[in-house]
Amino acid sequence: MNPVTRREFIGILRSPKSFGTLLFLTALFSFTVLSQWPTDTSSVSGTKSVEVFRVFGYGLLSGIIFLVPAFPATSIVNEKNNKTLALLLNSPLSGPSIYLGKISGVLLFSLLVLLCSLPASAACFAMGGISLNGDLGMLYCVLLVMILQYSTMGMLISSHVQTSDAGVRLTYAGVFFLLLVTLIPSAFLRGTSIFPPTLLTIAEWLRCFSPLPALMEILGDGEIGSSGLKQSSTIGRFLLLTLASSGIFAAFTLSRLNHRIFDRSRSKGTITNDQALATRLLRRILYVVDPQRRKTGIPWFLNPVMVKEFRCRRFGRSQWLLRLIAGCSIVSMLLTFLATTSAESWGVSTIGPLLVLMQVVLVVVLTPSLASGLISGERDSGGWELLRMTPLSTLRVISGKLLSVVWTLLLVLMATLPGYIMTVLIKPDLSSQIQIVLICLFWITLQALAISAAVGSIFRYTAVSTSVTYIAVIAFFLSPMLIWIARESPFGHNTVETALLATPVGAALNVIGARGFESYQLLPSAWWVSGIVSAIMFSVLSIQVWRLNRAI
Amino acid sequence: MTTESPCIEISNLTKRYGEFTALDSLSLEVQRGQILGFIGPNGAGKTTTIRILVGLLKATSGSARIAGADCLTETRKIKRLVGYMPDDFGKYDNMRVNEYLDFFGAAYGIARRARMKRVDEVLDIAGATHMKDLFVDALSRGMQQRVGLARTMMHDPEVLILDEPANGLDPQARIDMRTMLLKLADLGKTLIVTSHILPELARICDIVAMITQGKLRASGTVDKIMQEIQQKRTFEVMLLAQDRVSQVAQTVQTWLQSNTQNDAAKSTEVTPAETERMVRFSTALTDEQLSPLLGHLVASGETVLQFREVATDLEDAFLYVANEGNQPLGSTPRASSPMNEPQGVEGEPSVTKGESSA
Repeated sequence: MNPVTRREFIGILRSPKSFGTLLFLTALFSFTVLSQWPTDTSSVSGTKSVEVFRVFGYGLLSGIIFLVPAFPATSIVNEKNNKTLALLLNSPLSGPSIYLGKISGVLLFSLLVLLCSLPASAACFAMGGISLNGDLGMLYCVLLVMILQYSTMGMLISSHVQTSDAGVRLTYAGVFFLLLVTLIPSAFLRGTSIFPPTLLTIAEWLRCFSPLPALMEILGDGEIGSSGLKQSSTIGRFLLLTLASSGIFAAFTLSRLNHRIFDRSRSKGTITNDQALATRLLRRILYVVDPQRRKTGIPWFLNPVMVKEFRCRRFGRSQWLLRLIAGCSIVSMLLTFLATTSAESWGVSTIGPLLVLMQVVLVVVLTPSLASGLISGERDSGGWELLRMTPLSTLRVISGKLLSVVWTLLLVLMATLPGYIMTVLIKPDLSSQIQIVLICLFWITLQALAISAAVGSIFRYTAVSTSVTYIAVIAFFLSPMLIWIARESPFGHNTVETALLATPVGAALNVIGARGFESYQLLPSAWWVSGIVSAIMFSVLSIQVWRLNRAI
Repeated sequence: MTTESPCIEISNLTKRYGEFTALDSLSLEVQRGQILGFIGPNGAGKTTTIRILVGLLKATSGSARIAGADCLTETRKIKRLVGYMPDDFGKYDNMRVNEYLDFFGAAYGIARRARMKRVDEVLDIAGATHMKDLFVDALSRGMQQRVGLARTMMHDPEVLILDEPANGLDPQARIDMRTMLLKLADLGKTLIVTSHILPELARICDIVAMITQGKLRASGTVDKIMQEIQQKRTFEVMLLAQDRVSQVAQTVQTWLQSNTQNDAAKSTEVTPAETERMVRFSTALTDEQLSPLLGHLVASGETVLQFREVATDLEDAFLYVANEGNQPLGSTPRASSPMNEPQGVEGEPSVTKGESSA
């Protein structure tokens, strides 16, 4: 056995957390199926089985999305930072065998996750109504290929980043891109005649990068984004693209597994103020706020911790914020424009929910990245001791840190408002609904921030806190949606309504008139729940900071 | 508080974690402007003491005061009085050195204009002015230590507590660090410095405190500690011929026994080291009493190449204290180790207190 595989796989298996996760997943999958087990003969027709299979399939997909990327994302960068990669590269092991060793360790663990679901899937199969090869086999085949793609992508990212934290963030961003963003172009271009057919074909192929269409096809759901004509099967395209992209990711990673991985030029710390006038002018035009200008001191009216947080973030500085805001504004307006002018004529009633969903996704993806490391980042870098030595009060430290996230999120959300403005211009009677949606968005942001900051503060290391925070936030916001997907069966109206109260997302979609959300009464209860959850989470954060700050 | 009163007063400081006693009735005093070298093996209780002094830990019993402020109850005052440089640098990503110092200055509530001036001053003291625009996370260990020292001085504290400031530094950087510390002492700062590189401390410290297993074993000036523990001196006789080593050891043993008056002092240990062509012995005799030995050896027909005293330093003293005097000073075979070379080890120019350029 490859020694790297042995070490990686056994290392993961030995971890009590991994064991606990596997045990939890087995119990969860089994419970999901057994809770829906037919108790009377009328249910043996297979309908119930297909419904349970659907929930089970999406649950498995979610489990993989949450669990798998974290391991490859830190695999190489951890090895590099612990200085053991240099030892491995100096050993007789070749680059490919190191790579194979590392990836097979991750894949074997992922395989274990899938194996944990086998008892549940067997029970599902025993209920009847689903075929072994066409449904169950195909589901596992798609999931396995997906795991391979996420693992190779995670390893590629891990071979390029400098910290494990960055590896986790970028890998989850990559997963999000492959899962959802790839669906957007096709969803908008479909049915339009203003774009050339080649563009439409590209958009259709791009859509097949996401496992969702293939999975929905297998689970017998209406395929995502499909409206009108029945589309051709996407499973073949998905398998082909995923395997090809995995190969490309692996090849690029392999090309990094040599001395080049240690080559990192150190910044010279060039300052624009010291450069020629022409350079200074050019940079001013390009950046608006030049990142390399010499900063003046932190003014008295600003919380120094907040300023420090902005300055520490690679993408937190003004020039990046300006770009992000500009990008969000353009995308928001473009989406509204495209949707309202497309031949399919989606209209504002369709684009409204889409805008809300995109904003929620933006919040859910952005918030853990900004807030998970607020405390753990300090502890990880040794900055916490230094902060404790300053006369800054705990309240000032927390508020500075939280404000740095709040401002960023608010600016980004503000940038997505032009889409709503266009919507109101097209259909003025929607303005009151949009106001309520904006209140919901405020609560969603607050809740995501509170959960991210509280969960992130529990852990000592940034990479761990980022991974767990992403899992917690996505699980918190996605679980009600998964229950909603199974709204007709196995879950009843009351169960779905209660689940949707966990976050104000359902309420926002209900207010904007999204299909499938009309029958639920979610306001103002969803705001109350959100407020209570946020208050609890902020309390957890405060207690944790107090605990870390006290002299014992 | 009068200027004569100690700047740092530690009295019966004890810290217990359940059954384990990390610090056991530690008492210590440091006068204003003094440099205290805090020595101890890993896990001796140095960092625990330091963390109590800076208000990061609470003592189980005892008291600690810095410039009159109680370290256990007046932590806000202590934060203003003390500049603490932990072993870990505490770097932030994507921050330049001046931004880093600006942040800490702002955290200490220094007004913007004064802060910008102070950044330049502390960078100058730390010899890091050229690093002002560099990114903190791209600095080498030596550069980080300088910036760390600059950060510690940002709020102009009365007392500086530096945990292993010379750790990981190359010889030149160590000399620079030493010079900086002396400069700070000249500026009237009181310093507590821990280090595993004991010759470093011996050269700059006014007083030394040795701690093992949470207990203070010795404290005072380096000379005083040496006098206290150095009851016997160690000598080496180097011969031309290897085969004469045993014979000369026998001769030395006999001579010492016949020339030592005190019975207790007669139990001296003479060690032959044939491969080194050396005879080592320790004795309480004075130079005058011992000087005839060389003549005796030469008269006996032995060809003596060298007859010298093995210099004892802070490391010997520390080893002696760490072993609680079980092992006689000089009995450890360190004579040929490079650590026991005369002053100016590793080719460094010797810098001692009073020679600072400041």
